[in-house]
Amino acid sequence: MIRLDRVTYTYPGTSKPALRDVSLLIPEGQFCAVIGPNNAGKSTLAYAMAGFIPHFYRGALAGSVTVDGKDMRQTPLHELVLSVGLIMQNPFNQVSGTKFTVREEIAFGLENLGVPREKMVERVEEAMALVGIGDLAGRSPLALSGGQMQRVAIAAILAMQPKVLVLDEPTSQLDPIGSKEVFSVVSALVAERKTTVVMIEHKLEWVAEFADRVVALKGGEIIADGEAGRVLGEDPRVIEAVGQTRYSKAGLRARQEGLWPAGGRLPVTLEEAVEGFQEVRRMTEGGGRRMGID
Amino acid sequence: MLPGIWTSYALFLAVLIPLAAVGQVFGSLIRIIWKVVLPFAVSVFLIQGFLWTGGTPILHLGPISLKQEGLEFALTSSGRILIVVGTFIWFTLTTRPDTLMTSLAQRGFPAKLAYTIVATIQIVPRFQARAAAILDAQRARGLETEGSFRKRVKAIVPLVVPLILSSLVDVEERALAIEARGFSHPGVKTSLVEIPEAGWEKFARWTLLLAAAAMIGFRVWFEFSR
Repeated sequence: MIRLDRVTYTYPGTSKPALRDVSLLIPEGQFCAVIGPNNAGKSTLAYAMAGFIPHFYRGALAGSVTVDGKDMRQTPLHELVLSVGLIMQNPFNQVSGTKFTVREEIAFGLENLGVPREKMVERVEEAMALVGIGDLAGRSPLALSGGQMQRVAIAAILAMQPKVLVLDEPTSQLDPIGSKEVFSVVSALVAERKTTVVMIEHKLEWVAEFADRVVALKGGEIIADGEAGRVLGEDPRVIEAVGQTRYSKAGLRARQEGLWPAGGRLPVTLEEAVEGFQEVRRMTEGGGRRMGID
Repeated sequence: MLPGIWTSYALFLAVLIPLAAVGQVFGSLIRIIWKVVLPFAVSVFLIQGFLWTGGTPILHLGPISLKQEGLEFALTSSGRILIVVGTFIWFTLTTRPDTLMTSLAQRGFPAKLAYTIVATIQIVPRFQARAAAILDAQRARGLETEGSFRKRVKAIVPLVVPLILSSLVDVEERALAIEARGFSHPGVKTSLVEIPEAGWEKFARWTLLLAAAAMIGFRVWFEFSR
């Protein structure tokens, strides 16, 4: 669904590339999380996948980006938005600023695309139901909480029915409840609609719980790519760049205290930690030495 | 032949006030006019009343005197400002910006320009909130925003610079966000909200347009025929 082939990109007026030789293949229906420290090139990667590079940010782009079979260079932005939806950090800047109700706000994109009114009503209602904001339909989009506003932004993009959803730190300005709302909606989209999702995110516990795959970036380069448990568990480059989940830290400490198998993989989610400790207890009760625990 | 001193005030009372009452915005209209027009009117009365060159003095205050012609000029100017500003405020209080945008776009007005106008009107409260937040943040860092004139002038830069820079960042993000929602998509745009238009509204619009054109024509003719 998304293919980046040796992509290097430098913003106008700068000499250091924000992305260096990045190659990535994301299949349809995958929930791929992108992690990395500040200035790792995460947002740049999101803009490249959504076509804003090279159509909005000019700069120097080498390599190729293809999404839903469309080459980013050859396809105009107004056509790309039919395939890729982009959600950004600040929910307040994503409302159009010209609409009085959530229902009308969600219809803004469809109005721009010239969708007939009857079809538009149908798609708006569907998008609201999908993200669970039907009860907000008549409220002002500017009078919502951050989490509600971000869900409105997601619904507004979903109403346009893109095959790919790119989310650039959508929970960075949200509280834990708002973050959970966003993650739940996105993972439901992947499970039920086979939407391909790329989410840039700092909250490692959530990433570990929801994402199928984790790509770690640093200095514009991919430093790790794979299943969440493998990337977030013990990869020293990833730990140095973004740290660990609290469950990996607990597992590591347990290992140092002799409470976790020396060769056993560290947990990255709460469930993995609970399962791991239960397993350790069973094993120690039946003779810990078999697991390598002294 | 030209409107007298009291014409604007008569228009205000006979037309704008009833319209505000019909639109249920009487209180808001008066409050905003009070805040916007009154300071202007006071300054015009003081400046024109006392600094009018020549004219007929009607009151002496030491070396300066209040002139009748200056007062008449101030009354006329304030009346005109009252009716222009009042009408604009009444319009913004009674018209939903999105309806305005849709109506304008449906009548062939460029959609981008319509969006710019409406978004600008809508962004004012957000801009005010941001300015207040920056003011609080800078005060918390020890910036002195009260006191002597010098101190106040010195405080302008640390307040204005973050306000402008953060607003520019916002503009870029907002541009990205509306582009992501197909803002540049070519072709006819549609609208979720149907804007009903009674026959009399169309008649009123054309009548007002013709009346405005006639007034401009009359004014031009009057100036040239003197």
